[in-house]
Amino acid sequence: MVSLILVLCLILLLFETQSSLLDSKLIAFLGVLIAINAGLRFLENALPGPAGVSPIFFLIILTGYFFGSRIGFLMGAMTMFVSGLITGGVGPWLPGQMITAGWLGQSSALLKPLVQGLKWQHKTEEIIALSIFGAIWGILYGVIMNLWFWPFLGTTPGQTWLQSAGLMESIGRYSAYYIATSLVWDITRSIGNILIIGFLSRPMLRIFERFEKRFSFIIVET
Amino acid sequence: MTVSATWLIWISTSLILLLSTRNPIYILLTLTSLFLLGGKISLKKEQPNWTKQNLRFLITTIILSTLVNILFAHTGQTLLFILPENWPLIGGSITLESLVYGAVNGLVIGALYLVFNILNLVLSVKQITRLIPNAFRPISIMITISLTFFPSIQRRAREIREAQMIRGNKMKGVSDWLPIIIPLIVTSLENAFMLSESLTARGFYSKSSTNISNLNLIALVFAVFAVFAGWIFRLYNYPVVISVILYSLGIISIIFIFIIAGKQVNVTHYHQEVWHPRDIIFVGLSFIIAGAMIGLIRTDCLSSFIYSPYPNLSFPEISVFGFILSAVPGIPLIFISHD
Repeated sequence: MVSLILVLCLILLLFETQSSLLDSKLIAFLGVLIAINAGLRFLENALPGPAGVSPIFFLIILTGYFFGSRIGFLMGAMTMFVSGLITGGVGPWLPGQMITAGWLGQSSALLKPLVQGLKWQHKTEEIIALSIFGAIWGILYGVIMNLWFWPFLGTTPGQTWLQSAGLMESIGRYSAYYIATSLVWDITRSIGNILIIGFLSRPMLRIFERFEKRFSFIIVET
Repeated sequence: MTVSATWLIWISTSLILLLSTRNPIYILLTLTSLFLLGGKISLKKEQPNWTKQNLRFLITTIILSTLVNILFAHTGQTLLFILPENWPLIGGSITLESLVYGAVNGLVIGALYLVFNILNLVLSVKQITRLIPNAFRPISIMITISLTFFPSIQRRAREIREAQMIRGNKMKGVSDWLPIIIPLIVTSLENAFMLSESLTARGFYSKSSTNISNLNLIALVFAVFAVFAGWIFRLYNYPVVISVILYSLGIISIIFIFIIAGKQVNVTHYHQEVWHPRDIIFVGLSFIIAGAMIGLIRTDCLSSFIYSPYPNLSFPEISVFGFILSAVPGIPLIFISHD
């Protein structure tokens, strides 16, 4: 039932966000960007770096940060969907992945007002803010992704989900489960995100700025 | 069975079965029928290693799940050995019951994975993309663009990587990614630019043709909320009737909204899927089986579906109905031999 609700929420979110896609420029732009990100998911095997370091999060964060929450959500959710299709990885985990990656992109848009308010654009502080955001999401992604699994499989007393348990107790139980199963992996991902955002976000943002200008032609129907 | 919708119905029936039983004998039987089905399809698709790969995955899942459960769950009566209490998280008694529970969990996860793996095996990417409803036209176009561009992007990534290596890039750290990723993105976005121009030139400017009305969106919010409310009522033990009404209302509205939103879009389909009589028979049969299964579970006629090794390990109960239903995921075996 939880999975069904999750799928319905995803459908609802996609139905809403696609209203921003009603334009040939954006469809082409986002389609190609998603293909690049899905490609990077494969490239991560060919590139050097410790396990868990993945370049796909950085592109989702930057897209959400630069183009706003709707595009960020679509970028995250669709990257997961397309790479799932390509690898034959369509399964019960996919809606969870799509929503979580979507949230990652969507929430990146929240950084924009902060950076603009503090006049950090084109400064080192902007990169630092993005890196910290990436580090937090490295862990948060694991925390949220484990959630859909947890009531179903966390069968361990002390770590299991109990319907009768209160909020604090549930959080305590979940933390035990999380630390036991995923923390180490997620910390590597966080460090990876900091490194990749640190090295790549400045030139990437410059590319986005350039392409935003080029893509801003207006079609007039006559 | 070449129609993608029949496989969607197959996966739904299989999932209902797998998610409602914890009886290891039934799950093993289901796994056997899934392996037989997958094995046959993989031979047709010329993937001879499919069975071996999935068997390996299943065994790994069972071992991992068992290990996690015996190390973290210390309940159960039959003691195997004891780990020192002062070891954090894993210290305590290791019991036979938690071992069995972990293994059963592993079996269920393995079977779920297998079901989806068969779906991925049998349906092409094109067929899966076509399953996206018309109401999501902009998204499905975007997905098609991504899938079409993917091979060329991969090829370009390989070329850039090789070019960089010739120029002496040793590819040792994350900073070495920069000369690969940036050219890849710039050249690919150039392609996107050309694509968007040619889309516009060919009259694809969808603002007027696929305007998603706010009314549909509001209706969809209410429909999803109805399903959610039905679930909450069920959690708090309100009469089942309320939940059933809310579920049906929600689901029917969602289907209705999709039909209306889909009608607002003009789509041309090439290579339509053809329904054969055997597809129709399979769909009818699946509906009867799924209905019977839900009915039997709801009226507690399938008590053997429920099994727990806690607190004392016992042999799982078996019934004829249970046996028959466990073989249901293998039904396509009869039909695919005629394809």
